[in-house]
Amino acid sequence: MDTVTTDEERILRVWTPIILRTILVGAVVILLFGLLSIMWQDPGYYVMRFHSLQSHVRYQNRKNLAALASTAFKGDPRSIMTLGLMVLTLVPLVRVAFCFVLFVKERDGIYVAFTAYVLIGLVAGVILGRVG
Amino acid sequence: MFILLGLLALAMGAGFIGALSGLGGGVFIVPALLIFAHIPMGVAVGASMISVVATSAGASVAFVRDGWTNLRVAMALECATVTGAVTGAYLAGIVPTWVLELLFALMMLQSAYFTVTKIGDSILPHSDALAERLKLGGRIPAESGNQEIEYGVVNVPGGAILMVVAGLMSGLLGIGSGALKVMAMDYVMHLPLKVSSATSNFMIGVTAGAGALVFLARGDVATVIATPVALGVTAGALAGGRLLPHVNVQSLRIMFVAILVLIAVEMGWRALSGF
Repeated sequence: MDTVTTDEERILRVWTPIILRTILVGAVVILLFGLLSIMWQDPGYYVMRFHSLQSHVRYQNRKNLAALASTAFKGDPRSIMTLGLMVLTLVPLVRVAFCFVLFVKERDGIYVAFTAYVLIGLVAGVILGRVG
Repeated sequence: MFILLGLLALAMGAGFIGALSGLGGGVFIVPALLIFAHIPMGVAVGASMISVVATSAGASVAFVRDGWTNLRVAMALECATVTGAVTGAYLAGIVPTWVLELLFALMMLQSAYFTVTKIGDSILPHSDALAERLKLGGRIPAESGNQEIEYGVVNVPGGAILMVVAGLMSGLLGIGSGALKVMAMDYVMHLPLKVSSATSNFMIGVTAGAGALVFLARGDVATVIATPVALGVTAGALAGGRLLPHVNVQSLRIMFVAILVLIAVEMGWRALSGF
């Protein structure tokens, strides 16, 4: 049986909650800002988009990260919301990255391999989504 | 404005019931979007998957801090769920809608079964050879005093196979598959129930994150739906989590089962109509 080590204690119980919560709050703030912006700037667009989605109109929203960041910083509400959703998906990614660091520090080869596999799986998901 | 408020209310309701039932918001928000907002399945799945990431992120912070999460079990099994989730999310763009609706109906029935047969807490003193080699066992606080109890883990391959299915369902249907994950860890691998629940919660975010990344990269997340849904489900889940210690969940169990069976019937009917 393995006991919880000091490193594991510190990384898991101190740093992980702080960083995860910061990213989560950041994402919520960005999403709220985007949602309020679209309702303020262009409420008609929101209604039109909602009804077109109900009518099964193709809705693909595919921009590269640089273009997305650029339009978000110019104040485009849709890009801001997409950016917020992306920041949100960083939470699990960062969580796995923390575990990877933890197992590297503990020199636990099997679990370094497991977490590396999960990280590669997450990145593979992005690649698969881009080509699929 | 009314559309936005309606979506927020729908998502908050789903998050609230999801937190009280312990099944998560995903299983309720997808049918709610289909039935009440008349949103297509693909859009609902993408939005739900993002909301699962958000609620899991909020909830699992507390569990990790409390020390109930078995990180090694989570990471070992996450290899299986992420493989399933990425495959499922990729297939979600190809699989006909009626198949997704049928799978959703089956998952609702599985969740209903899980709700009525809440599992007994079995603690094994020793792990089997593979679990021992993977150092999967752990310790939990004893019910009385400051002592700790050691627990063992068995049948990792069986648990991993169920986790691939859980990941696949998560990627295809935009749900956390928490009921399936807890059942795999509790029934098959014999982890203590509270460890299974906390570890499942930790895993749900990573599994849903894998699926969400495929959807986001493919451009299949409709931001006008996903944003209010993510915010609403998270707010509802927070409210439900706060209320949870003050309500008798046992007495609500029949209502949850009835809702799940009704959703299963509706989704099954949609699947058969679309076939």
